[in-house]
Amino acid sequence: MKFPISITILLCRFARFLLRRLGRGGTNVPGTLALKLRPDILKTLSKDVTIVLVTGTNGKTTITRMIEQCFREAGFSYFTNRSGANMDTGIAAEFVVNSTVRGKCQYPYALIECDELAFRKVSRYANVKYVVVSNIFRDQLDRYGEITHTLTGIFDGIHNIPDATVCLNADCSLSTSLHERLPNKVIFYGLNCPLYKDRVKEVSDAPYCIHCGKAYRYDYVTYGHLGKYFCENCGYRRPEPAVAVEEILSMDADSTTVRLKFPDGEHKVKINLPGGYNVYNAAAAAAVGTAMGLSDETVTAALEHFECGFGRMEKVTINDTDVRMILVKNPAGANQVLSFLYNIEDPAVFVVGLNDRYADGTDISWIWDADFEKLVSMGDRLHRVVVTGIRADEMAMRFKYAGLDPQKIDIIRDYSELLRSVTKEHIPVFIMPTYTAMLSIRELMSREYHIKEFWK
Amino acid sequence: MDTLKICHLYPDTLNLYGDRGNILCMKKRMEWRGLPVEIAEISVGEHFDPYDYDIYFIGGGQDFEQEVLLKDLAGEKGTAIKRAVDEEKVFLTICGGYQILGNYYKTWDGVQCDFLGAIDVYTVGEKKRMVGDFMFRLSEEDGGSIVTGFENHSGKTYLGKDVRPLGKILRGHGNNGEDGTEGARFKNVFASYSHGPLLPKNPKLCDFILKTALARKDPNISLKALDDTFENRAAAFMEKRLSAE
Repeated sequence: MKFPISITILLCRFARFLLRRLGRGGTNVPGTLALKLRPDILKTLSKDVTIVLVTGTNGKTTITRMIEQCFREAGFSYFTNRSGANMDTGIAAEFVVNSTVRGKCQYPYALIECDELAFRKVSRYANVKYVVVSNIFRDQLDRYGEITHTLTGIFDGIHNIPDATVCLNADCSLSTSLHERLPNKVIFYGLNCPLYKDRVKEVSDAPYCIHCGKAYRYDYVTYGHLGKYFCENCGYRRPEPAVAVEEILSMDADSTTVRLKFPDGEHKVKINLPGGYNVYNAAAAAAVGTAMGLSDETVTAALEHFECGFGRMEKVTINDTDVRMILVKNPAGANQVLSFLYNIEDPAVFVVGLNDRYADGTDISWIWDADFEKLVSMGDRLHRVVVTGIRADEMAMRFKYAGLDPQKIDIIRDYSELLRSVTKEHIPVFIMPTYTAMLSIRELMSREYHIKEFWK
Repeated sequence: MDTLKICHLYPDTLNLYGDRGNILCMKKRMEWRGLPVEIAEISVGEHFDPYDYDIYFIGGGQDFEQEVLLKDLAGEKGTAIKRAVDEEKVFLTICGGYQILGNYYKTWDGVQCDFLGAIDVYTVGEKKRMVGDFMFRLSEEDGGSIVTGFENHSGKTYLGKDVRPLGKILRGHGNNGEDGTEGARFKNVFASYSHGPLLPKNPKLCDFILKTALARKDPNISLKALDDTFENRAAAFMEKRLSAE
């Protein structure tokens, strides 16, 4: 006999209530409990709900927030997993919280950010209608083993839901290979133009054709292995995207303006978030908007209005100083952040917070694959470099080998002292933390500077 | 003094886990001493003369790119690498790069894949990966210092009788998790499972490798000491943490 759904829901809610009373924002304990009692709980709770799910290596949170803004503009009634609780346990907990005790979801729409490997577990039971795959890069290989495991995980996830519409990044040769093996309806999105004049030095995660093993050729590369690729040998090539950025009109420290093509026309859009990689995130959000039948105007308004999420270029003010926090976790993502920082015009203070807990990835060797040399080459605009986190020493050494004078590298382990020190000259600060370093810094900001807690 | 020439083999394929940091480390430690150094990159489909370089570096890669590599190694590239090893050129090879110098790799379900046979080791695949921070002590001939790094491999490697280990495992798995050995030494080949990358946090080993290569040009070479405060601090942190486990 199955464990009764009502009691499962009540127990989970109680666990969550207790955790919050203890001042902890965790969602994993209630979710683990729910899945233990009822492994198929998502099947019941997601009945009659239209689920939009975002997965892939980089950009999940930002794409989710952009789609959320589309939902707001469209007046949808929805719930979403907010605090980076994107494993099957966190997602189960969110469904529990947003359902009645009888197991009926209170919202017609659910917007879910989902970890690449948790995806197949979630889609096994949950009734997912739309899937967005951001891209596939090398990420935390200590956990995923190899990039092909990520690809297989996403394939399995989509394989569970043949009726779902899938939005794929046309410029990612790994993602597009999914299309040929699945019966799903696919909408491609991508960039019909290069992204930067001056790219960082980086390695490609997929230099060879996934079908025949011959090196790809490119009409242009946007970043990493993304771009207009083709294989001379077997003819595998980038598909034509239905939703595409046709031109980058301008880029600055706060936004990027682009010409965005939808199936029925073009719009000039100001994406309210800086950084070239966010142009991809915007195209992904536009693709799912199109798939859902939202008007172009709703989508473009959303991209212009939305505010960024947890640790993704989040801006706060401390001691009258702008402090931006940008999560880094793998070389492709870090290189995108470094490209953005390289283009800022005024001097700034740069902080890297390197932790090596499980959620960060226990292998920190990716810092050697990220082009920190680019940051060092900023000259006078590199006002100061501070490193923090469990593996601060290693990061300091990385900066030394990137060519920075060791005298100019400060190690400050105490976050309280760190925030005080980096804001004392009132020069803009960019903090690049790994995941758990971000949680700790965020917690301290809320405690000492009363910046709101992230799960509220 | 002649320019030290370093050849990075397959930089675009075997490029996992920051292994290219080893190249950067060797380059910087030469430059900081005012010694001339040059890096060349040789990829799939490109040829090289085994006599052209002093140090060869091969990093780790992902299994799915292996086919491309094997095809490339089967030709004259493989012969050139073997020749360079025989001629006592210095090699630093990590993980996948270490394995391909060996005789073969047998997958866990029994499929055998022949490799170069440049050093007498072989590797057997395991389903379970050996992943995590690890620590070993170099053998006395190679300086005897403690090395910390990160291992991530499913292959278990076993050494033949003419090959000695690079070090003795203090924490973690190393070659196979069974015999307490880590890495391999044969002629001037230094092979290891240590990513991290290996050299920056272990400057003594880096200098030992540089010196081995430079001594072939000038037997009286001595390397000026560098300020290794940052390097030693990063290594000491990991040594302390691993020792406490």
